[in-house]
Amino acid sequence: MSESFTRVELLRRGAATGLFLTIPTSLLAACGGDGIEGEGGTTAASTQVSRELKDQLTISNWPLYIDIDEDTKERPTLQQFTEETGVRVRYIEDVNDNDEWFGKNRAALAGGNAIDRDITVLTDWMAGRMVRLNYVQELDKSAIPNASNLVESLRSPSFDPSRDFSMPWQSGLTGIGYDVERAGEITSIGQLLDDPKLKGKVTFLSEMPDTMGLVMQLDGADPSTVDEAAFQKAIDRLQAGVDSGQIRQFTGNDYSGLLANGDVWACAAWSGDMVQLQLDNPNLRFVIPDEGGMIWTDNMLIPTGGDVFTASTFMNFVYDPAVAAQIAAYVNYICPVIGAKEEAAKIDAELAENPLIFPDDETLSKVKIFDAEAADNEDLKSKFQAVVGA
Amino acid sequence: MTSYAATPARVRSLPRAWAFVRRHLLTVYAALALLYLMLPIGVVVLFSFNDPVGRFNYTWEGFTLDHWLNPFGVPGIQESITTSLEIAALASLTATTLGTLIALALVRYAFRGRGATNIFIFLPMTTPEVVLGASLLTLFLNLGVSTGFWTIFIAHVMFNISFVVVTVRARIVGFDRHLEEAAMDLGANEWTTFWRVTLPLIAPGIVAGALIAFALSVDDFVITNFNAGATVTFPLYVWGAARIGVPPQVNVIGTAIFAVAVILMLANVLLQRRKEHA
Amino acid sequence: MAFVHRHKGLVPYLLLLPGLGFLALFFVVPAYYLAHTSLQTGSLDAGYAFTWAWENYTDAISTYHEQLTRSLVYAGIATAIALAVSYPLAYWIAFRGGRWKTLFLLIVIAPFFVTYLIRTLAWQNILSDNGPVVEVLRAIGVLDDGERLLATSTAVVAGITYNFLPFMALPLYASLEQIDERLIEAAEDLYASRLQAFLRVTLPLSLPGVVAGTLLTFIPAAGDFVNAELLGTPREAMIGNVIQSKFLVITDYGQAAALSFVLMAAILALVLAYTRALGADRLAEAR
Repeated sequence: MSESFTRVELLRRGAATGLFLTIPTSLLAACGGDGIEGEGGTTAASTQVSRELKDQLTISNWPLYIDIDEDTKERPTLQQFTEETGVRVRYIEDVNDNDEWFGKNRAALAGGNAIDRDITVLTDWMAGRMVRLNYVQELDKSAIPNASNLVESLRSPSFDPSRDFSMPWQSGLTGIGYDVERAGEITSIGQLLDDPKLKGKVTFLSEMPDTMGLVMQLDGADPSTVDEAAFQKAIDRLQAGVDSGQIRQFTGNDYSGLLANGDVWACAAWSGDMVQLQLDNPNLRFVIPDEGGMIWTDNMLIPTGGDVFTASTFMNFVYDPAVAAQIAAYVNYICPVIGAKEEAAKIDAELAENPLIFPDDETLSKVKIFDAEAADNEDLKSKFQAVVGA
Repeated sequence: MTSYAATPARVRSLPRAWAFVRRHLLTVYAALALLYLMLPIGVVVLFSFNDPVGRFNYTWEGFTLDHWLNPFGVPGIQESITTSLEIAALASLTATTLGTLIALALVRYAFRGRGATNIFIFLPMTTPEVVLGASLLTLFLNLGVSTGFWTIFIAHVMFNISFVVVTVRARIVGFDRHLEEAAMDLGANEWTTFWRVTLPLIAPGIVAGALIAFALSVDDFVITNFNAGATVTFPLYVWGAARIGVPPQVNVIGTAIFAVAVILMLANVLLQRRKEHA
Repeated sequence: MAFVHRHKGLVPYLLLLPGLGFLALFFVVPAYYLAHTSLQTGSLDAGYAFTWAWENYTDAISTYHEQLTRSLVYAGIATAIALAVSYPLAYWIAFRGGRWKTLFLLIVIAPFFVTYLIRTLAWQNILSDNGPVVEVLRAIGVLDDGERLLATSTAVVAGITYNFLPFMALPLYASLEQIDERLIEAAEDLYASRLQAFLRVTLPLSLPGVVAGTLLTFIPAAGDFVNAELLGTPREAMIGNVIQSKFLVITDYGQAAALSFVLMAAILALVLAYTRALGADRLAEAR
């Protein structure tokens, strides 16, 4: 669906927003800026941040997280950005796991060095760590007038209360992905942990907040304010699942392949992934467990050494509702941009009505955000890591 | 086994029959072992021609040459290959130079510390990769060096030197020093002798060492993963791609690397043979 | 050149200097930093400091002795299987390979030329729950319906065996190939039984190859984590998985470094015990 849609969308969007975007970005910035870092009065010499676009923008992101034309393997959104700004985009899908990404890049970041990335996309708690450790740069808000399109609920996360360092890329839900033909109907994480029929056919996520959030809710605990005893109880349940062989593995995105070839029948999974997988295999389902699911947000950050102005300009670009709708339509995660739903409805009414992409209040009432501090607590992390096996 | 039921007259030939069966058994066993070694390679090659439905290349869906005609048709794969080849070229060149010098010293000269050097050279080869990678990372972390292209290069030279030394040394050991002496008798000085006589004679060893270093470099995942920072080599690309389903293009590249390596190895062997026969 | 002529004794050292210098900088010095790190404590926020934290070692051993033992056991089994598979193979190539010897040898080292990760992923596909191997094993009753191969210890050991088998086969072949066939023929005449001849002559003569092969297989196998990661479950996690995750996932550098040394010490102890058991002096003789 995404293929034909993106083409139509490409043409349509070009007409509607082309004008807006062909206005030199610096001019836009001057209009939209609220004066904090605006150009008025200041000269290039007195500003630390360059106001010129670089030739190339390098972005690190998770796999399958931006629209792509399946035939040409080109990425329409990025092509448009290049057409409109002249900035080439080097887009690298090298974030497979928050911790792993951090561990690999820490040597450079800790030394205060650049890591050859202008934007990197990390989940809330890791974004918080990056901000806390001062490994990121402040956004050039004057270049992001579209920031006003950010949905209300995401405007002041605890780790970055006024969004000085981060802009959400996508949000997503964590729930259960399963193959209905093989596993039958599944409604609870309890089935994944205890149903003998699923023995050895279950995976959980190696991302601690996702897995622990789901298992904690099974015991009625609230993962948004983690209590050590409840956490421990959930750890014990998981450990029992590992020891008995019920749980096969802890995975990143790789559960998708296991589900697709039948090695895994039910797993903790991410909403957008499952919507994408359903296109190839209608037996695959995504459900928010009865006891509750999780919601999280991945954020764009500008790591040390990244070009602030060019990166901010890109952020502004993807906060255009039409562009945001185009990305959401492909990745099928929750779009954080006001107006994207209306844009999406113009091309595909069904898309705009999908509660996994534009969630209604009922869906949102069933999910929780994991305790930000607990998510990056070393003791809790090592406890979880011990269950995962390393 | 039927030979047990043979007539007494044939009993004398029993040992020979036994030998035949045994020789057969050994051959069958060897054939099975070779098959086992080739099996996953066959799967890799086969699935490079697969035409998968959806993004998972797990089940055979039909033959296509598409991926071979368009091996870089997946975003990111070309950049990773280029990075890998650049690092491999630089690292194997450096390691081969350093390693050949060491091999020459070890074989041609008797000096204090030769035994110790021999043992020392063996150490990197007998240290688990995870420890080699980790210890280099601690060096870079403690010195505040950013990991990336050049730290991968350093790591690859480090683990390749020993392999080059071992390969080149094996070649120099079997080499006839009388040829050099003859050259010197004919009036060539040491330098000329080295360039005109020694080097051409040990060249196949050096080439073999360089090939091994290149192959190990292109292949390395564990040590690279520790010291790569934001740089993505081909194995690191595969590691990431495995999360979302490895595209058939990876099989294409894997097969191509395999084919090139085998051809170069064969060529080296054949060249050597021709020279020896000549 | 004049300098070199006057100080001929210096030549080997000059030849060694660049290479050994490089190894000193990037093999020896890192070992020092690894040791230094293994006694550090700290966290991302507080920073890491050297505190003579010997508890890193005791904690590491008490928490991860299971993974450590498992690594050594898996590596041991894989080495034994690799020996069992490669010895007859190497023997056959050395004595029966004929003019195709080089080709067969090439097949033995062929796996090395397929990217490590790609060949391990191929095994993942081959051993998959609905794959051909499992189906055949189910059909002949080796596996029960619910049983599987992938994500079991069998798969992990099989993967390790496959990936390191060339390390075993090559040295075996090298030592077998050097044996003069007339020697074996003479032994067969002398001992009357081929088995006797093999045990008394061929095997001892190939012992250096056996030792080199087992070491070159066992050591990398004990530190491997890719096979356990791709073909196993948390119950098959090896010490390599712990070390890499402590370094790269939870940035607990102190314990990760300590574990690296524990692994090295365990390997060294086993290797020494092994070579002693085989008799280093006998090895020297065999040469």
